[in-house]
Amino acid sequence: MIRTRRTSLSLDLALLALLACLVGFIAYRITVHLDYAWHWGEIPQYILRHDDRTGRWVPNYLLRGLFTTLRLSLWGGLLALALGLAMALARTGRSLYWRLIARTYVLLLRNLPPLVIIFLFYFFLADQLIPHLALDVRARKAGPGVRWLLSLLVAEPGSISAFLSAVCTLALFEGAYITEILRAGIESVERGQWEAAHALGLRRHQVLRHVVLPQAFRQVLPTLAGQFISLVKDSSIVSVISIQELTYQGSQLMASTYLTIEVWVTVALMYMLLTFPCSLLVARLEARLARRHGGDGHDWGCLCRGEEVL
Amino acid sequence: MNREGQGDDIIIASNLVKTFPGPVRALDDFSVTVRRGEVLVIVGPSGSGKSTFLRCLNGLEEVDSGTIIIDGLPLDDNEKHRLEIRREVGMVFQSFNLFPHLNVLENVSLAQRLVRGKSRARAREFSMELLARVGLADKAASFPAELSGGQQQRVAIARALAMMPRVMLFDEATSALDPEMIGEVLDVMRQLAEDGMTMVVVTHEMGFALEVSDRVLFMEQGRVIEEGAPEQFFNTPARARTRAFLRQIL
Repeated sequence: MIRTRRTSLSLDLALLALLACLVGFIAYRITVHLDYAWHWGEIPQYILRHDDRTGRWVPNYLLRGLFTTLRLSLWGGLLALALGLAMALARTGRSLYWRLIARTYVLLLRNLPPLVIIFLFYFFLADQLIPHLALDVRARKAGPGVRWLLSLLVAEPGSISAFLSAVCTLALFEGAYITEILRAGIESVERGQWEAAHALGLRRHQVLRHVVLPQAFRQVLPTLAGQFISLVKDSSIVSVISIQELTYQGSQLMASTYLTIEVWVTVALMYMLLTFPCSLLVARLEARLARRHGGDGHDWGCLCRGEEVL
Repeated sequence: MNREGQGDDIIIASNLVKTFPGPVRALDDFSVTVRRGEVLVIVGPSGSGKSTFLRCLNGLEEVDSGTIIIDGLPLDDNEKHRLEIRREVGMVFQSFNLFPHLNVLENVSLAQRLVRGKSRARAREFSMELLARVGLADKAASFPAELSGGQQQRVAIARALAMMPRVMLFDEATSALDPEMIGEVLDVMRQLAEDGMTMVVVTHEMGFALEVSDRVLFMEQGRVIEEGAPEQFFNTPARARTRAFLRQIL
């Protein structure tokens, strides 16, 4: 045991040294050989801009993009969760009809590249379905309070249709992954739990609502949270359909200012700002669940006996 | 509630046949009748169909043919009948099957609220009464994972009793327990029998069968081999097969 630790320590040191050399080499290439004029000073104004007319600081391209990404992720995540839950229930249900529908959905969506799905569904939704709701017109006619709330929570009145299409498309393909995660969760709940609940006279929907789903969710919460982080990152795909989220704003800014590296490093940091806290949260969740269930989630019989539970 | 056939016989199971893919005949033309207030102990080698019979009684398994009538109500394809029977029949499992995400009080209260429609306060009151009866009133706020096996099984009994069932089924309720915990669970079951509960008990605890039961039934390969009063069953078994079985386990 101790001997393996020693070998791995010297191996670690060698690897670290190698890594340091590599970083040094890259730094050297950048400072000496890269023909690039750095203009970091110009970046902050694209995050926050001073509005001379009102005399206030207002968010500029990048920060507005970050907010849009956040709104896309939250709404997309909620919708994907609802869709995924419905499809997971259909997939594990008793009706062959619904099982087939859910299977087809998952099969179709998971075997297509996200970009293709985005194009297909976006053009269908944006051209055929959502315009009929005339949301943009209605939003423009709404009172100032509603308009303010809409632009805070959803999107500017003029781009609500496009935003909604993007949210739906995102939810549709993330929903397929969430379906599979939740299905695994539902199937991980032991048969005895169903039987005990049925034996008490609970109906199927009561068993699901009060016994099976709470355990299933607890079991897959870390995976689900991980999928949400994926969703935040995947939301950059909708930049191809001109939703003004972070990646889109980044590419626009790069095209107009040629600050290629500065812009993308900033965009990367801003994505980190969203995803890093989520990752920390997932890690904490996992640790907490491991403690509560004695590591396995099923060995609640005697493993945790006498142990403090949160 | 006056139903047809609702006399002294609370469970009437006739000509039950149940096969599992294999094909295994778990129940082979199996018939048994249980009187109100009777404690019936079913013994037999593993795989003899004891558990299958219990699970058929509350519809966890469906029989291929035969009829089951519980307290005058037929267990058939009618979902309403099935639910009503499950309310009247409590079941205790070998592996406890407590709900791990709920604390002890919530475990006992859940079905009272969902199925019986009791208020949170009234369910709580009755749950605490039941927990006191199984000697676990101080564990109401604990989670199942914090309890010993014996304590978990006592909670499971309280949970089943919370529905105020007319029949209690025990499916090897002590088989998964460490030896030092079997006694506390059997004590609760004994008390229940003294209070007049109708019980069908599948068990390997022959001492319990001899002491508490009104009738012992020996089954093998889905059939009744022999049944009788406990003293007669254990002291002067009629069949050679029963004698061989008893020699093996005693």
